[in-house]
Amino acid sequence: MRTFSAPGIAATVFVLTFLLALPLAIMMRDALASHLGGSLAAETAASGINYDWWQEFTAQATGLGSTFTPGIIGFATVLDNISGLLDARARVATLAAALMLYLVGWAFLSGGILDRYARQRPIRAHGFFAASGVYGFRFLRLAVVAGLVYWWLFAYVHPWLFDTQFEKLTRGMNAERTAFLVRAIFYLLFSAILFAVNLVVDYTKVRIVVEDRRSALGAVGAAMRFIRNHPRQVIALYGLNGLTFLGLMALWALVAPGTGGAGLSMWAGFVLAQFYIIARLLMKLQFIASQIALFQANLAHATYVSAPVPAWPDSPAAEAIGPTPQSA
Amino acid sequence: MHTLRPFAAALLLCGAILVALTAQQQTPVEQPAASGATSANAIPADERSPRNANYEIDARLDEDAKTIDGKATIRWRNITDDATTELQFHLYWNAWRDAESTWLRERRIAGLYEPPPPDAWSSMDIKSLRVRDASGGMRDLTKEMRFIAPDDGNVRDRTVMSVPLGRRVEPNEGVEIVMEWTAKIPRPFARTGWIGDYYFIAQWFPKLGVLESDGWNTHQFHAATEFFSDFGVYDVRLTVPRRFVIGASGRQTARTDNADGTTTHRYQQEDIHDFAWTASPDFLDQTQRFEHPTLPAVDVRLLLLPEHRGQADRYFAAVNAVLKRYGEWFGAYPYGHITIIDPAFQSESDGMEYPTLVTGRARWLALKTTQLPESTTAHEVGHQWWYAMVATNEFEHAWMDEGFNTYATARVMAEAMNPNRIESRYFGGFVPWSFRDIPVTRIDNDRLAAFRLNSEADAQWTPTYQYWPATASIISYNKTALWMHTLERRHGWPTVQRIMSTYFERWKFKHPTPSDFFDIVREVTGHGHYWFFDEVYRSSNTFDYGVQEFRSERIDDKTFRTAVVVRRYGEATFPVDVVTTFENGEQIKETWDGQERRAIYQYERPVKGATVQVDPDRVLLLDVAYTNNSRTLTPSSGKASLKWSLAWMVWLQDLMLTYGFFV
Repeated sequence: MRTFSAPGIAATVFVLTFLLALPLAIMMRDALASHLGGSLAAETAASGINYDWWQEFTAQATGLGSTFTPGIIGFATVLDNISGLLDARARVATLAAALMLYLVGWAFLSGGILDRYARQRPIRAHGFFAASGVYGFRFLRLAVVAGLVYWWLFAYVHPWLFDTQFEKLTRGMNAERTAFLVRAIFYLLFSAILFAVNLVVDYTKVRIVVEDRRSALGAVGAAMRFIRNHPRQVIALYGLNGLTFLGLMALWALVAPGTGGAGLSMWAGFVLAQFYIIARLLMKLQFIASQIALFQANLAHATYVSAPVPAWPDSPAAEAIGPTPQSA
Repeated sequence: MHTLRPFAAALLLCGAILVALTAQQQTPVEQPAASGATSANAIPADERSPRNANYEIDARLDEDAKTIDGKATIRWRNITDDATTELQFHLYWNAWRDAESTWLRERRIAGLYEPPPPDAWSSMDIKSLRVRDASGGMRDLTKEMRFIAPDDGNVRDRTVMSVPLGRRVEPNEGVEIVMEWTAKIPRPFARTGWIGDYYFIAQWFPKLGVLESDGWNTHQFHAATEFFSDFGVYDVRLTVPRRFVIGASGRQTARTDNADGTTTHRYQQEDIHDFAWTASPDFLDQTQRFEHPTLPAVDVRLLLLPEHRGQADRYFAAVNAVLKRYGEWFGAYPYGHITIIDPAFQSESDGMEYPTLVTGRARWLALKTTQLPESTTAHEVGHQWWYAMVATNEFEHAWMDEGFNTYATARVMAEAMNPNRIESRYFGGFVPWSFRDIPVTRIDNDRLAAFRLNSEADAQWTPTYQYWPATASIISYNKTALWMHTLERRHGWPTVQRIMSTYFERWKFKHPTPSDFFDIVREVTGHGHYWFFDEVYRSSNTFDYGVQEFRSERIDDKTFRTAVVVRRYGEATFPVDVVTTFENGEQIKETWDGQERRAIYQYERPVKGATVQVDPDRVLLLDVAYTNNSRTLTPSSGKASLKWSLAWMVWLQDLMLTYGFFV
């Protein structure tokens, strides 16, 4: 409910996701258009798939262009991206920079999002961004800590697990299904570690905002205490949100558009995909909101304390007189 | 008394049977194989191979030590016109004896080397070598053996052994050699070895090189090559623990259970030039019979691993498709039987051919809409024509079997195995996903995409063992398939089919060279195609034709001048059509010999030009950049690029959300 009572937040994160992707998509369009030029190959590429041209394009492409693979079609996007994450696939520099910007953007907005969901009443745009600004620096410090942990996981734990241990355990195996089982267990194990870290980071953010904590490290300790004291609720909620995510993925697998033509079907497919993106964003926001709700419901002292100055609506008369007291 | 007589007789009979059974347990007796098959040869006498390298082998697998102890009696006959005073043998498994072999040195130079684990190394040690002399006695030449390195002089390489005979072996004279050896089985290397309790055993015995008119052709084992040997009759007894199911070249003719818990399997086959075998306790043994109105029947045996149980029909379908089409196109498969091995995971034995035995390739998670196991199986079965029967020198001309076979397999796949789709694999390569909108085409099976990236890697006429190892397969497989398909598009399938069937009939059970094939092209088509083979075989030039300029301008009230400039961007030449289409649908077709750097055409018409295409029928499949072969004055690149960039944008948004997990 907290998510749906603040549609502006969903709109904001969608705009962030859209606007960050847009310039790169324009770069990709230019690269594709340049390669196609005035070729008749463009006609089949527009009306369906010209895989021969596609292969020719990727053969000469570098950087962003090298990511133009069949993995961009329909539900393969999800497999490609999740698999890429869990297999620690390296990303080209431009993409890595865009992803970093996106994460920084989210980190900045998280303060406002958590503040709004904790407060459970409208705070308007300037309240939202004020909260984002207030917590942004604290979250940045938290991001450094979390980033170091994630980096260690991907730089050391991942290769140890998926290269060294996987190789060690499977080198004598002559049945693929057994090797896959080992890999699947490793995925679960690694995901569980990621989820655990993620859980701590989530509740750290919650405690920073709800309790107006200044120390990111102190909040990390507090988050771990909260999780330790409410393990079943915390894990059940995480699991429930995870299941909802899987449900959405299953639905997307059924309806994800393939490749149509370049006319109406293209736009219809794009709009449908944007609904999917919005659904995923809503799910993420719901995830955050549910964690705040759980925290506030369980910790007796966890009333909202940060309490920024309320922003009352200006009356038309006050606006006519001049600057409001808040802005004076 | 009368009543007791039958009883006594029965008692005596039972006793006799008991004694006989006991005796049988004490002294193993060779039993005919369950199939009751014999080694009856279906190959007519006048079509048989020279049978000049005949092997009788007794080999025992030691499962604990991972070794094979073998004894071979080799009867070799000199079928050249010159005498020889030595014998040369391949000892392939010494390629993985240490890191200084030529095979591993070349892998290192090409960046393909990963240090093998300590238990991966293999070896082949000759314990004794004796040759029967003129008096009928055996002369021990064990101490005369020495390693040679005819290709690169690498004194650390032990993959070729020379044995001076101390006498001349005259033309048509025979030699009998008895050898004993021990071979350490590698963990999988180059499609042979063991993993768990799965064994795939290839190139496992000391094998004679090929004596040619200018001496022995016995190349070292190189990173980019396969094999070459003479035809003969193989009679092989393999002793393995009883629990193993065995598959091997040839047909099983006997099976003996030994008192020590082992079983000796006897396989025999005439007119083959290699012998490979496999053993696993897990194989499911399935058989089908291929029948055809005009081709001889073939017993197809499939040794399938349990995790691929559901893919048996797919294997058989691929085998049948090749037996039918290759049989109809090129000539009949004469052996009457073939064994297909479903290789174990990580055995690296997938996708390999041996006479009358091939390995396929299957994945545990396999989609029905994609090409595994069919494409690999079809390709390897196809090698029975181009390798097993037409036995080219794979050290020097691998393209003659790999390339011809890639081309023909692509034809089979396009005809018999459609529709199937492009596949990507995720999550460590275990999880498949097929793209319903992207069919696999014949050109994909000709492997154009990989060729495009390495078209200039080597000139095809270079001996294969000198190819750059990392790209050798592209020049052998892909380039040949593409130029063969180009020939087909230029001359039509009936002509190419006649070339290939003539080539097959004339050269089966022999060792043809490139010029033998080129001669047949000349014979069938009436011209030598020297210019074509100069480009595709004798050079590494790249083909790339394109449209440089295309303009259409009004020159007066009633006339437009349309100018077309077509360009040869690559160094290789090929005649191409240039078709200009005008807005009223009129088409003008020019035939450009493609020799000069560019050709210019100008037309004056009452309407504007609309499009121009170089090689519109795409005859020249070796053209590495086909997008530039056409130009339109009303391009759709804006629409196409918008469509695909939107799809890519959704992928990027999804990627952002996936990484959004971290915040």
